[in-house]
Amino acid sequence: MKGMVLHLLCGLIFMLFQTAISPHFLQPGMRPNLLLILVIYLGLSESFLRAAFLTLLLGVLQDVFSGATLGLYATVQLTVFLLVRIFSDHLNIESRPLLLGLVGAGTVLQALLLGFLLTTFAEAGSVLSILLSDLPSQVVFNLLAGWGLLVFLLKLQPLLGTRQGMAGLSHQSKHHGA
Amino acid sequence: MRDFLKRHQIPLLITLLILVVLLVYSANLRKKTTTTLFERAVLTLTEPLQQGIHGIGSSIYDLWNNYLSLVDTRQQNITLIKMNRELRAKLVAVKEIQLENQRLKKLLDFVKADPRQVLPALVVAEDASSWARTIVIDKGLNHGVHEGQSVVVAEGVVGRVIKVAGNSSRVLLVTDASSSVAGLVQRTRTRGVARGNGVHLTLEFALRSDPVKRDDLVVTSGMGGVFPKGLVVGRVAAVHRDAFGLFQRIDLIPAVDFSRLEEVLVLLETEP
Repeated sequence: MKGMVLHLLCGLIFMLFQTAISPHFLQPGMRPNLLLILVIYLGLSESFLRAAFLTLLLGVLQDVFSGATLGLYATVQLTVFLLVRIFSDHLNIESRPLLLGLVGAGTVLQALLLGFLLTTFAEAGSVLSILLSDLPSQVVFNLLAGWGLLVFLLKLQPLLGTRQGMAGLSHQSKHHGA
Repeated sequence: MRDFLKRHQIPLLITLLILVVLLVYSANLRKKTTTTLFERAVLTLTEPLQQGIHGIGSSIYDLWNNYLSLVDTRQQNITLIKMNRELRAKLVAVKEIQLENQRLKKLLDFVKADPRQVLPALVVAEDASSWARTIVIDKGLNHGVHEGQSVVVAEGVVGRVIKVAGNSSRVLLVTDASSSVAGLVQRTRTRGVARGNGVHLTLEFALRSDPVKRDDLVVTSGMGGVFPKGLVVGRVAAVHRDAFGLFQRIDLIPAVDFSRLEEVLVLLETEP
């Protein structure tokens, strides 16, 4: 329960950063999607049900702060989470480059899903061209943000403690099988 | 007599010397501006010495003042730097107030010119995604804001309220891809629908036969019941006419600079 509240609080802080702080410094296409990084991290680190529930809540939270329709990001984030979850069993989640690779792939997947849903279910006009034109910068800035958050997480690791299966934290392997 | 002189030779000598000096003095009183040979010789001899001593003295004085006697200088420097920083911050704040004052004055002029009831609001946040164009303002239900109300600035139309909470609302900007505004070209009265494409707008369904030109002003037509008539939407940037078809496509540059949006007005009575 404590972990869930912590993740939700983290998501809320990320949302506030994305809506109130980053617009002062970055153009729309350059603002990293921190919640997507959190969802990918949850997909790799947490138990299935817990992570799915958290992803749903984070998606709804993003819907509140973005766009005009509730449920769009909830759908997209859950789909991204499920795909990450399917592949995570075949991946070495302790690898940091892999985590960053997943952030890049997740960004592309999210843009495609958003484009598909908005053009199929809503009359969203030229949204696909906006999404595609912003995609390269979005990938770069999401990767940078992912790398920054990973470095921050590594600094926080002594406080968080060691737990098996935390994505990107390689020395967790010492505890594997213990 | 000799004994007397011998006994008092020193006082007498001194008296004599004083008398001589007095005589010289009284003799020179009449020639104040004349330099005697003696004076000239002494001055010439002492001049280099004076200069040398003065130089050494100055150096010692400077050394003392500039390097040794600097007990308070560092503290003074710190105080001055702090004062300078404070003054600079005040200057920035004053500049900011000045700019805010200019913007508010422009809004006030707009409010005076417009008979509708308006509510000023501050932009507090933007959209969390990169593709949607919405802003959050600091006025909500508690201030009489409802979904569908128009949001404007002195330059033109900003968007419409789509979500309302107690003390905040979300506004869909006219540049959002899902936004459409019924507009008309002011000069030719050509009607169309201005749709956002993220940064600019496109006027669709404008009749191909109408001679719309670059720099023509596009205003809201009042059709559709969302935006009141006569609000500035933007200016024509380019006109695209295909070889055939009913309509022409017109690119618009929005009248409002959405990257510098800080204060807006909510039209509380949005009657077209």
